[in-house]
Amino acid sequence: MSKSVLKKTLVSLAVASSFAAFAAHADIKVGIAGPMTGAYAAFGEQLWKGASQAAEDINAAGGINGEKLVLVKADDACEPKQAVSVANRLVDSDQVAGVIGHFCSSSSIPASEIYDEGGISEITPASTNPQYTERGLPGVFRTCGRDDQQGTVAADYIIDKLKATKVAVIHDKDTYGQGLADATKAQLNKRGVTEVMYEGLTRGEKDFNALVTKIRASGAEVVYFGGLHAEAGALVHQLRDQGFTGGFMSGDGITSEEFVTAAGGPKYVDGVYMTFGADPRNNTASADVIAKFRAAGYEPEGYTLYSYAALQVLAAGLKGANGDKTKVAEWIHGNTVPTVMGDKQYDAKGDLTVSDYVMYEWHADGKYTETTN
Amino acid sequence: MSSSINIKKSVIDTLLAGLLSLIVFGPVIGILLDGYDFTTRPSLLLTMVAIVMVGRFAISLFVQSEKGQMMLYKHQNNDDGVIVLPPGHKSKMVYIVPIAIIIGLVAPFVATKYILTVLILGLIYVLLGLGLNIVVGLAGLLDLGFVGFYAIGAYGLSLGYQYLGFGFWSMLPLAAIMAAVAGAILGFPVLRMHGDYLAIVTLGFGEIIRLILTNWTSFTGGPNGVYAPLPTLFGLEFERRAKQGGTPFHEFFNLPYDSGLKYVFIYLSLFMVVCAVLYIKHRLVKMPIGRAWEALREDEIACRSLGLNHVLIKLSAFMMGASTGGLAGVFFATYQGFVNPTSFTFFESALILAIVVLGGLGSTVGVVIAAFVLTVTPEMLREVADFRVLIFGLLMVVMMIWRPRGLVRITRTGFAVRKGVA
Amino acid sequence: MDIVLQQLVNGLTLGSVYGLIAVGYTMVYGIIGMINFAHGDVYMVSAYITAIVLALLSFFGIHSFPVVILFTLLLTIIITGVYGWTIERVAYRPLRNSTRLAPLISAIGMSLILQNYVQIAQGARSQGVPTLLDGTLRMHIGDGYVQLTYMKVFILVAAFSGMGILTYIIQKTTLGRMCRATQQDRKMASILGINTDRIISYVFVIGAAMAALAGVLITLDYGSFDFFVGFVIGVKAFTAAVLGGIGSLPGAMLGGVILGLAESLFSGLVNTDYKDVFAFGLLVTILIFRPSGLLGKPAVEKV
Repeated sequence: MSKSVLKKTLVSLAVASSFAAFAAHADIKVGIAGPMTGAYAAFGEQLWKGASQAAEDINAAGGINGEKLVLVKADDACEPKQAVSVANRLVDSDQVAGVIGHFCSSSSIPASEIYDEGGISEITPASTNPQYTERGLPGVFRTCGRDDQQGTVAADYIIDKLKATKVAVIHDKDTYGQGLADATKAQLNKRGVTEVMYEGLTRGEKDFNALVTKIRASGAEVVYFGGLHAEAGALVHQLRDQGFTGGFMSGDGITSEEFVTAAGGPKYVDGVYMTFGADPRNNTASADVIAKFRAAGYEPEGYTLYSYAALQVLAAGLKGANGDKTKVAEWIHGNTVPTVMGDKQYDAKGDLTVSDYVMYEWHADGKYTETTN
Repeated sequence: MSSSINIKKSVIDTLLAGLLSLIVFGPVIGILLDGYDFTTRPSLLLTMVAIVMVGRFAISLFVQSEKGQMMLYKHQNNDDGVIVLPPGHKSKMVYIVPIAIIIGLVAPFVATKYILTVLILGLIYVLLGLGLNIVVGLAGLLDLGFVGFYAIGAYGLSLGYQYLGFGFWSMLPLAAIMAAVAGAILGFPVLRMHGDYLAIVTLGFGEIIRLILTNWTSFTGGPNGVYAPLPTLFGLEFERRAKQGGTPFHEFFNLPYDSGLKYVFIYLSLFMVVCAVLYIKHRLVKMPIGRAWEALREDEIACRSLGLNHVLIKLSAFMMGASTGGLAGVFFATYQGFVNPTSFTFFESALILAIVVLGGLGSTVGVVIAAFVLTVTPEMLREVADFRVLIFGLLMVVMMIWRPRGLVRITRTGFAVRKGVA
Repeated sequence: MDIVLQQLVNGLTLGSVYGLIAVGYTMVYGIIGMINFAHGDVYMVSAYITAIVLALLSFFGIHSFPVVILFTLLLTIIITGVYGWTIERVAYRPLRNSTRLAPLISAIGMSLILQNYVQIAQGARSQGVPTLLDGTLRMHIGDGYVQLTYMKVFILVAAFSGMGILTYIIQKTTLGRMCRATQQDRKMASILGINTDRIISYVFVIGAAMAALAGVLITLDYGSFDFFVGFVIGVKAFTAAVLGGIGSLPGAMLGGVILGLAESLFSGLVNTDYKDVFAFGLLVTILIFRPSGLLGKPAVEKV
């Protein structure tokens, strides 16, 4: 057992026992669901850190009408089966008033049915698949954008800025990755560009040399990849190793420092494009929250602040609904919530009314910045 | 048996174990990678090594004690596969079975929804275990791709509903038949193969099914999966809003909506199907076909020389097993409300195989117990989330060492010629 | 043309790595008849050890490529070998005389343990190693070109020499003879004074060492790994071992290369989505016509 894990366990025990002391008051439980173990545990950690900080801040400011927020950690390992199981557990055993999560779209979608049956709201900081909100469930929201918005931004950038006409679209055969790739492809086609290649790779594999050679043979100028950082890193590394000099673009699934390690070093990620929401770290509203994270030795990258904002939205909803958890969704639909990422307003489906996707570029020092042109 | 304890040997064992654990744990635990750099954790490493050394010392002393020697002797000599009971043995199952059935029927009305979902999952794995038990336990054909039939059942329900409009109850038998046909298709080419070649071909079959489900996006929905309908009770549905064109159960009876009700219904249907399969299975083993499976497992050549049709026997085992897997798949899909290919990986096959082996090859009671152990344990371990899988793996290794033939051995009542008849 | 050639090279490097790992499956199977499902995870552990050794070396200021690669190979192979020995001793030896399936389940458990152990010890994030060997080899053919990094060339050389050394050990040395004797008839070998338990341990060590060689090579080439890399490559390598005829050493190597080439060419010329379907389909087809694999001995049916 690693020290950090030990420490984490102890801290969570301490936190749990301190909450237990509060249990005499009526606490409001909120589930934080995501991949806490497994290959995408790094993202689960982002969700947990963001929500924990938010809960701390909200409780310090008096909680929800005097009641404290208590977080319940739920691990789905990004597997639908486990997602359904933890969702039932959250609704039934833990009696949560709402859920922040899940991370993977393939988990959020089946879990949302359970939350709907249980009459509570689910706010995902990260699942961008359109299907999540397209099924007409009343209690689903997200603090991130949708793949079709993201795909539009990506495809327009490829055509307008990169002036590319030969695009290879690659995905990882997962709900999120393929959804994103399809959205980009759709926008490319709409603007009269037919992709030279559209294929999927297998998640968990590392050798994509055959695919890379095929991309080279297709004469693609830009490779668009829908998927997560582990495969994106290996793919861009092998593209460069085989002498591919064209552009490489992906979505918000590579928003993690791990993308650099997965690619085998910062020099491989140089010039990689990525769509992501306007960096919440640049938002003035978030300055002191970010300072808090950094003071605790944690860089709030990726979805951390999205998760923070998600809990703020839920808390506002709980406050507005005056403790009636079935009214939360109704309240959120009808009001604008100020969050760490600016004011958020929702449409009837539960999507944000304003999409703020912008293009980022990775640099040889292993960091990313917003593109200027 | 000498009972003197050789301390020197124990000490040497302990030191060796300490050295080994230093090499094994040294790099992976003692050094924490941090980018291209690292930090050291000497105290943690020393703790681990100390734990190993103390453990080794204790085991070494125990093994040398009289009690340990006895255990070791017993462990090395438990080679008899089947326990033959004396003729006329009265099984205690006569009392246990009705009690179990009553408990099973009452359970959903007292359990919380969460416990109910875990129970449903447990029963689904009972079905899977029973199916694979026919193939591996009785017929002795190692099948590593059982998840393929499970997937066929699950997707059968979802796709049958989506494209043909069939509901749960019509797809239940259809999916079983589809899985059985797939079993026959798989069974045919692999009949020539022996032991572990069979294992890898079946593994390949399971993977091929999963890959097709993933890649054939236009038909199966690919990674997004497909919606699966809930079972209905004479056209009454168990959701808040009717989705299949019927009337919601709670509206029909003017009850307040209870989301747990659908799980109660799934559970009860599943429980009845499991009981039926258990009964069929119980009878099959005593019928000629069941005897033929076991005979084939023990000695194929002898069977063939006695005129048994080995092709038919193997095929029937495959088909029986597969159809049970298909049934489990239908229940899995309806329980999830949604299926996608990530639920049907090779790991799932391994888990089902573990149920069969852990339960005791060929033993029905063992499979039932093992299925619940292997599904309930990970849920109970949720409290220690980070160590869940580690403990689960340890449990598998320890159980195998402790009971290599599974929890429950096959027992069989012996036959005796009645006196005065011969 | 250049594309086909590049795909051949891709397939060959991938296949040689499959071959190295397949050796571990095939030798263990040959000697005790069990499928060692934890073998892929031994490979995964070796990737972590590679990165740790590299970090240590750079900490001590050693940067010259030949020295670094030599030490990395040596240390990784030794430590992974110890892992192989320990796993056999703890999880499989107590099951030596039990049913055929018991060690299989134990191996599945071991595979879970190794994955979770590494995840807990080193964290869930993917890790990386710096590039050691820069530069590429480019051959122009007509309009196109075939490009190989020096690292790929090194992989090919190292993988095939590894296989050569192993073949020499098995064919020519006393240890190899004892291994083969134990494989053919364990009881007879032990009557002839061979400590078969020890030989079985050696086989596990050799298998782990070959997996470690693959681990070092792959890790240096891709530059990244996580605790989950063992699974996919493990299944592929096992397929390769069966393709070549499980229990046969040259078969494992041949199977690996064939599988690598098949995957590469199929995904290059037809479709990446279905490359694994093709690989398994190829396996099933070969097994239907040669039920014991390409180089495996047909099982004798005694009456």
